[in-house]
Amino acid sequence: MRKQFIIGVVAAALAAASLVATSSVSTAAGTDFSKCQNLKACGGMDALVKAAQKEGKLNVITLPRDWANYGEAMDLFSKAFGIKITDDNPDGSSAYEIQTVKTAPASKVPDAVDVGITYALDNTNLFTSYKVANWADITADYKDPSGRWAGDYAGVMALSYDTSIPKAPKTFSDLKDPAYKNMLAIGGDPSGAQEALMSVFAATVASGGTADSVQPGIDYFKSLKTSGNFVTALANGQNFLAGAYKVSFSWSFNGPGAVATAAKAGKTVKYIIPTDAVIKGTPYVMAIPFNAPHPAAARLWTEFLYSQNNGKTSMTVGSTKGMTGSKIFSSIMGGQNIWILGGALPITFDAMVAKKTNVTAPEGYGIPKGVKVITPTVAQQDAAKTLLKAQWPAIAGN
Amino acid sequence: MKSGVVETPRKTQGGRLGSQVFPLLPFFAFTGYFLIWPVLAVTLRSLRGNEGEWTFSNYTPLLHGSYLHAFTTSIKLSLITSIIGSLLGALFAYVVVRYASGKFSAVLDSISAVFANSGGVPLAFMFIAAFGTEGLVTRVLKTLGWDIYAGHFTIFSFTGVVMVYSFFQIPLMFLVFKPAISGLRKEWLEASTNLGATQVTYWRRVAIPMLLPSFFGAFFLLFAGGFSAYATARALTVGTVPLVPIIIGTLVDGNVVSDQQNLGDALAVGMIIVAGVAMIGYVWAQKSAAKWRQS
Repeated sequence: MRKQFIIGVVAAALAAASLVATSSVSTAAGTDFSKCQNLKACGGMDALVKAAQKEGKLNVITLPRDWANYGEAMDLFSKAFGIKITDDNPDGSSAYEIQTVKTAPASKVPDAVDVGITYALDNTNLFTSYKVANWADITADYKDPSGRWAGDYAGVMALSYDTSIPKAPKTFSDLKDPAYKNMLAIGGDPSGAQEALMSVFAATVASGGTADSVQPGIDYFKSLKTSGNFVTALANGQNFLAGAYKVSFSWSFNGPGAVATAAKAGKTVKYIIPTDAVIKGTPYVMAIPFNAPHPAAARLWTEFLYSQNNGKTSMTVGSTKGMTGSKIFSSIMGGQNIWILGGALPITFDAMVAKKTNVTAPEGYGIPKGVKVITPTVAQQDAAKTLLKAQWPAIAGN
Repeated sequence: MKSGVVETPRKTQGGRLGSQVFPLLPFFAFTGYFLIWPVLAVTLRSLRGNEGEWTFSNYTPLLHGSYLHAFTTSIKLSLITSIIGSLLGALFAYVVVRYASGKFSAVLDSISAVFANSGGVPLAFMFIAAFGTEGLVTRVLKTLGWDIYAGHFTIFSFTGVVMVYSFFQIPLMFLVFKPAISGLRKEWLEASTNLGATQVTYWRRVAIPMLLPSFFGAFFLLFAGGFSAYATARALTVGTVPLVPIIIGTLVDGNVVSDQQNLGDALAVGMIIVAGVAMIGYVWAQKSAAKWRQS
């Protein structure tokens, strides 16, 4: 551990040194984009866009196109600002992102990362401070006071199902019906996979329990395993298309992508947010590494993702030639709304609702009215994992 | 004179040793880096606590509760699949050696080699596509009037995993056991018949004792293979059939409670010990088989 820490410090020091080297270039233009900590300090939107366009490139990492509508976000950003985006290893993990920040050659370092919150908390020293214009709208629990990281979007536990099944489920409890024999699957082993863990929380709340103990959720899956409704196939696109399962607990923000993929294979999938449990996951976290090779583009990308604008999409954006940076920025859809359109809950959602800047979520992805939204705390998640480690392997009764 | 006599053989011996060792250096480097070093590293880490102190505490969870259960499940699964695999594989090998033509037998060898090496998520997917709730085979059987999902059967269970493992265990047995059967000489049957033995006596007194060491050797090999398989079972059971390698995967792959950092290493050492016992059995069986062949 200690050794890793020292390596981290050395890496940070090296990164800082390389920043000093690059900073002399940018100071010629008046602003050091690798150091400015908010839009104003960066010289305003026009200057930021100009600098980002001069860099011409943006490195992102592990962003699948069908994950949380990132495909649209990247296309729109690229088209509107004329900045080429390179997405390294779209299907990689948070651990891979952190590893790349630490070890990649200078030009391949990602300009921004999107990681699970624990990865951000454990690696704060890798990131630079930057507070987006909408910083105040970010929930206080999910931002670093010094601006090194902030939550960006979260998912809600949805039910997704093949519309060809005889009975459409409305709630998690509906799945106890024998009509769903051999149909239900989840996304992995709940003691290890986040989506599966949240599925157990959803089942818990739907069974009348609280996030403090997931025992009712474990019992839910146990009884469904006994009745044959719960199949232990891994819920992923491939197994779905093979007919291994028909209904699954899924993150809302993967819905639109999954629906489109299934449609290509001739299947109709529907996502709903059931009324008997609304479980919101802990948000993912955005951060800019100290050694981001395109510091202005990195900051523009971040501003874009936290923007609450309702504007043009990648299909309607057209040519932006000759427009000032701030004009382009205010004419296009902001990332927070792009996430809503992708079935995700953006981090500034509550503020957007208050300001009425949010777009309408696609049908089925809206949070049901009058239902308590529950986000299990890290402590509750740890307690759940401990319980699951002991009990999950036994639910199949072998 | 005397010193000369002593020196000469020493020199030749040294030269021979050098010429034996040098070509093997890449091999030693390879096994050292990819086998010996990882085993040492895992063993050392398994003996360290969270603060880096030396301790046996990582091993205590292995002796009871869910981790012990994982070991018994893993051993049970490998035993069952290697028993099925070795019996059926041996039977097929005998039938092929006895009745198939050389060409057909060669084709079967190639096919078996492919099957024996299939595994991982693709293998799990193959079985889902064939025997899943909507699998091809499932549907064909259904139209023939047999709904395999009418009762308790499902591919996503311990039984399902046994079925999938047999898919590579049987052809593996076929491959490793076929040479032993081919080694049974016709003369031995003729000789025993001439001495008045019946077919049964021949099998009981000659063929089976000859084949038994090879059979056990292959059995241990199958056991070790089944014991270490990981991705296939994981893709079929999302952790509801707890196997040791799956649990190690869950422990190592993020999301771990931080007070159990080196538990995964301790589980790995436990696996190395079980696999080691199987390998000792394998070596013992191989030795006995070689003894038979020589005499």
